[in-house]
Amino acid sequence: MAAQFHRSGTRGARWILSAPLLVFLLLVVAYAAFSGIETSFQDRTLLNPEPSFTGFANYATVLNDSTFWSSLGFTVFYTVAVTVVELLLGFGLALLFDRGFPGKRWLLSVIIIPIMVAPSLMGIMFRLILNDNIGTIPAVFKAIGSDISLFSGSNVIPLVVALDLVQWTPFTFLLLYSALQSVPQELYEAASIDRAGYWRVVKSIIVPLIVPTLVITGFLRAIDAFRTFDTIYILTGGGPGTKTTTLSIYIYKVLSGGNFGVASAAAVIVALITLPLVPLVVGRITRGALANL
Amino acid sequence: MYRSFFTPKRRAVAVAVSVALVATGCSSAGDTSGTTKLKMVFEPGPEADAMAVLVKDFNATAGKTDKVAVQIIQLSRTDTFAKEATVMATKSSEYDIYRTTSYLVAQHAPYLDPITLNESEYFPTAVNSLKVKGKLYGIPLDVSNHFLFYRQDLIAKMLADPAGYAAASQKVLGLSLTPKDPAEWNWNDYIASAAYFTKSVNPLSPTQYGTVLAAKNLSYNAMIWDDVLWSFGGSWTDSSGKAALTSEVAEKAVRVYSKIYTSGITSPDSTQAEFPETQAGLTAGNAAFAVQWGAGYAALADAATSPVTAGKIGIAPVPGETHATHVHALSIGINKYGKHKAQAKTFIDWLSSSKTMTKYVKAGGIAAMPKVLEANASTNAIFADISSSVSKYGFAEPNVPRAFDIYTALAADLSGAWVGEGNPKDALKKANESVAALLK
Repeated sequence: MAAQFHRSGTRGARWILSAPLLVFLLLVVAYAAFSGIETSFQDRTLLNPEPSFTGFANYATVLNDSTFWSSLGFTVFYTVAVTVVELLLGFGLALLFDRGFPGKRWLLSVIIIPIMVAPSLMGIMFRLILNDNIGTIPAVFKAIGSDISLFSGSNVIPLVVALDLVQWTPFTFLLLYSALQSVPQELYEAASIDRAGYWRVVKSIIVPLIVPTLVITGFLRAIDAFRTFDTIYILTGGGPGTKTTTLSIYIYKVLSGGNFGVASAAAVIVALITLPLVPLVVGRITRGALANL
Repeated sequence: MYRSFFTPKRRAVAVAVSVALVATGCSSAGDTSGTTKLKMVFEPGPEADAMAVLVKDFNATAGKTDKVAVQIIQLSRTDTFAKEATVMATKSSEYDIYRTTSYLVAQHAPYLDPITLNESEYFPTAVNSLKVKGKLYGIPLDVSNHFLFYRQDLIAKMLADPAGYAAASQKVLGLSLTPKDPAEWNWNDYIASAAYFTKSVNPLSPTQYGTVLAAKNLSYNAMIWDDVLWSFGGSWTDSSGKAALTSEVAEKAVRVYSKIYTSGITSPDSTQAEFPETQAGLTAGNAAFAVQWGAGYAALADAATSPVTAGKIGIAPVPGETHATHVHALSIGINKYGKHKAQAKTFIDWLSSSKTMTKYVKAGGIAAMPKVLEANASTNAIFADISSSVSKYGFAEPNVPRAFDIYTALAADLSGAWVGEGNPKDALKKANESVAALLK
């Protein structure tokens, strides 16, 4: 009987302790999500102050818009490119920093600076630094006799990818570096006794042990890259044409035209694209965690 | 033993402070002196700085008498209208005065009260651009249009070198042209002159490129491209009101841009150029001329901000067989759902006098009153040009409800073709479909 009271008391305490978070989630997430979904089924624009139910018309508008599909294509390419390269670079840097070398602390501080800068500010900084008339980088290119144009149609996509690498590789590096710190020293010692080479240690010890961190880091970067807005919007406005238009820029432009229904429908479609990834990743992380128990 | 922090005395103080805070919050629209506080939306920038001078003046004089005080709420330079739109859509009474413009007023009209003004004091293009179904929804404050800004010192040298000019025009256009005064340029003259001032075409050129082409995917750049379209006699629509961007003149207008870009007579980075990049090209001495917003002149003529161009900038109308400049008015209107509409009307009436607008131009604004601009030409040399240019060459695009969406669509659909990516005909076909859908 006493145990039963204890269990129900614990259950009650759980709800009481979770209540602030649940209320917050209800207000900030659930209400906003419900309102967004509701708006996506309405003919709701600035021109139409009295919204009416319009079924799937807004979804049809989005799905029939070639700009939406080109934005989706660019966003997927951009997400995959920056996530893969940042994981590789971050892992490489983590391996490098895992070994001692002079000036390591100083260099570590310098490397993580970009993630402390707001993406919009980063966009403005790059806009100045890369400006053909007054920017430092074009001036350096000119000084060495190169007439490369960073914003030309053929270079603009590699450029925006490179700028994302500059800002977010330190993020993957930090997470992977901290994961490397948690690899037990005894495993290195055992590998050393077995005369395993460095790359053998990386392949057979380090990588399997940090897979959960790699997955979560890749997931976080992919989600963040998928909703990229600030830097690209400030630098290119999504152009030339719609070449660098991400889904976030697409939705923003529809919204800023006062087309709330269509913008909400586009946002719901984007959510439907990304949501199935969540259980996959959570499952992978959970499996990893359980395996380590 | 545990003692609560909230002793009876502290509890009483906390309650008193809370009540005071709530009371302060509730009285945001008025204070103990009975003054009504009006909230007015504005975007940060030179217009807001000029308006701040007027607001200070109003609050200290006429506002004091009428017990009205205005407060400027600055949102963000680029996102003011997007943020304002979300507030408008909720029929909020939070703001009493909304920011609006020629290209948004048709969308904003359901949330604004019509106003009346002495229209004869304003540029007719500016006033008409703020009317929806015959009713005026905003007071024209600033007028924005385009000019050709050019380096007088460089153009003088070009006019004295017909042989070099003919060679440059032959290389880029396949035509042997003679140099002309910028006020007489058509688009071929513009291209030939840009070629003359481009090092890759004319190694003796003092500038790297002839011009700066504002070709970023940006609605405001579509307004500049409209100048080219209108100069060829084109428009978004035909006489029956149907989308007309598959016309021959629309293709000519796109080809002017793509010729400038693909000939290398503008920087390859023009794909991301807009107002600041155009200014930078001129102030750095990298370009000899450019079509630019009138607001850019003051900085180009100022020795402190642009020593390279100060005292050397000439002003001419936008090139074309027929000169044409897009004109829009920046404005404010009264929130239909606001709680202090009478007081907002008092402020707008105060703004509508030429005396107030004279103070506005002295503070950095570009008033939409021709007489005020002409009388204050000594404040900013471009005022007189704006007055004549808007009257002679100004046009306003069709005042359709989704005008802003059309600018956005034009920039998205055409900015690739402007820089030679893809076929102009395909881009125009897509733009035409977008415009047709937005006109429905």
